[in-house]
Amino acid sequence: MAKLSLMFEEKLVKEVPVGSRAVSIGRSPDNDLPVDNLAVSNYHARVYFEAGRLVVEDLDSLNGTFVNDMRVERATLHDGDSIWVGKHHIKVDATHDTALPMDYGRKANAPRINETMVLDTKVRRDMLQQAAAMGERTQFAAGRLKVPTIVVLSGRTDQKEYALTNKLTVIGKSSLATVRLKGWFKPAMAAQINQRDDGYYLVAGDKIPSVNAAPISGPVRLNDGDLIEICGVRVNFIFRE
Amino acid sequence: MTDVGRVRSNNEDCYRIVSELGLFVLSDGMGGEAHGEVASALAVETVVKHCLEGENNPALPVFGETQPGWSARTKRLSSAVHLANKKIFESAARHPEQSGMGATLTAIWISENSLSLAHVGDSRAYILRTGSLQQLTSDHSLVAEQVRRGILTSTQAEESELQSVLLRALGANPDVEVDAEEQPLFPRDVLLLCSDGLTRMVMEPETAGALQSEPDPQTAAEHLVAMANERGGADNITVIVIRTSTESKSWFSWFRRGARKSSNGNGHAGGQGQAGGK
Repeated sequence: MAKLSLMFEEKLVKEVPVGSRAVSIGRSPDNDLPVDNLAVSNYHARVYFEAGRLVVEDLDSLNGTFVNDMRVERATLHDGDSIWVGKHHIKVDATHDTALPMDYGRKANAPRINETMVLDTKVRRDMLQQAAAMGERTQFAAGRLKVPTIVVLSGRTDQKEYALTNKLTVIGKSSLATVRLKGWFKPAMAAQINQRDDGYYLVAGDKIPSVNAAPISGPVRLNDGDLIEICGVRVNFIFRE
Repeated sequence: MTDVGRVRSNNEDCYRIVSELGLFVLSDGMGGEAHGEVASALAVETVVKHCLEGENNPALPVFGETQPGWSARTKRLSSAVHLANKKIFESAARHPEQSGMGATLTAIWISENSLSLAHVGDSRAYILRTGSLQQLTSDHSLVAEQVRRGILTSTQAEESELQSVLLRALGANPDVEVDAEEQPLFPRDVLLLCSDGLTRMVMEPETAGALQSEPDPQTAAEHLVAMANERGGADNITVIVIRTSTESKSWFSWFRRGARKSSNGNGHAGGQGQAGGK
């Protein structure tokens, strides 16, 4: 379970865990982390779990949200990061991230199951509810409803935008590729995106793509907003609401 | 090839290769006594029969939901899996002793430059392409769902005691949601279908290594089974390796091997594989 500590200078103001619900940050007193400072908007930012990672999102605040030194609209948080709003900062403690789910199997007190079994509807519901309750503080809510999407920024392709619905998406000149590259000398299969349980991974094909200007050296997990460059085509990987 | 493993005495896995269609079907049964075997055999038989019939008679009804963009093959394959679910469910309803039996099903139907895939359960299909092993199926298991929801990490899922709990399988309900999709195929692609007896024992990088270092699909399949057995062979292990040809357009060669240890009269698993091929 992750923890956020609101700090003013070096003094701890308030501490909250991050659970299934987003943690709201802002000047209004009904925020989870109220920040009493005129430089802070009423509803300034929020922090929540999405696809297993901790994310901070600026809520169109007037003066901006900063992670460490960078102003962000939306960013993945890591242990030890500081979120700055006005003169306050919020320390991110993500070290306890894994403790809760690890306990799940034990607390559920489930017998070791060697035989494969299918959950009947009731048991399945109970177990999922139990899992959801366990994940209360770790589970993200709306993340699954977001559609991973490739938006073409520049270069020639057959569409401007692609929703990634397959387990494996091929980018290339092949007539069967999902993202079809156009033009001479484009490889049939330039790169691929593989949907795995824990996210979407960019994998090289006949060419080595770059993510955020760095050529990949192996499968790379994509984050919301990543910029991919392949065969002169620049695309944005985003999660559409 | 399929292998009973080191712990169990029966083989609940079943597979079949219909070379004239380019159809590869794998199923892992569950249920007490011998009913897991009944379920997986029924699943595989039904899928193969429905696909063969559909080839001869395109007007054959299509069961379950389909998507408009799918090819006739993908629709037929998805339909076959819906039908297999129905058959297992009905059989269990008719025979109370079979109550609780079920099966996973993963099937690939290959054409010259594309594949259709239909899937329910926690058997898997992979494609090895440009050196990367990529999973073409999602496990319909509780732990995999928890990873997708961000409750567990992949590592925790691998260590979980609840790995055998499935959220979807054939035969559990009157109808089932079937995952189906189409993929382009490229020269030198290697396809792998396997039951959880492999994936729980052998990590993906090792699987990728075995497939990459061994050009002969038969030997690669044997290596994978041997690796799973070396680590305990806790469950039945079934592996189908399909290698697309590097040379011509008549491009796929495949391998299957009969069960070595499950030939004890039930005629299950590899015993049903059709002979022949390209």
